[in-house]
Amino acid sequence: MREVVVGLLCAVGLFFSLSGAVGVWRMPDLYTRIQASTKTITLGALPVLVALVVGTGVLTPYTSRAVLVAFLLLVLNPAASHAVARASYKTGTPQWKGAVAHEPDREQPS
Amino acid sequence: MTTLFLVVAVAEVAVALPLLLRMAVGPTVGDRAVALNAFSAQATLSLLLFSAFASRTIYLDVALWTSSFSYLGTLVWARLLERELL
Repeated sequence: MREVVVGLLCAVGLFFSLSGAVGVWRMPDLYTRIQASTKTITLGALPVLVALVVGTGVLTPYTSRAVLVAFLLLVLNPAASHAVARASYKTGTPQWKGAVAHEPDREQPS
Repeated sequence: MTTLFLVVAVAEVAVALPLLLRMAVGPTVGDRAVALNAFSAQATLSLLLFSAFASRTIYLDVALWTSSFSYLGTLVWARLLERELL
């Protein structure tokens, strides 16, 4: 029973990780690649971490590290992706030709 | 159960192969930084599952350091692109 739950959670996590990796490979420009990577990293990592906790038991060293890694991924990964996107936008990384909004000269609220 | 952990640990790196391709050919530095960030998240998961397979809790700390310091690496690349680091 526990193996079935762990296998299902890992399958969900692996599916989202694979879709994110394929998205990073196939998407046309940097910003859509960031969008593909961030969502699927969190959605692909959390089921695998839950599967680790279910598979090893709750009161083990694995649980504390899984909670810490989940916190780090949830908090730091969007921050890092936002920093990369902001830096690339400010330095004029070209957008996909079908993009509908590009306003680098607009006044930024400070 | 432990064999399942090993299989998933190998598969977590195997599904991240397109990220390595993007890191190799990515036209801008931002592409490579994004791919590196995503790949290190996958490597963290793989290390966690491998430590559950091998029953060695010392690998858990390696995974924790990987997840926290890959963020610092991506942030340093972003600041360097923005010309605010130097």
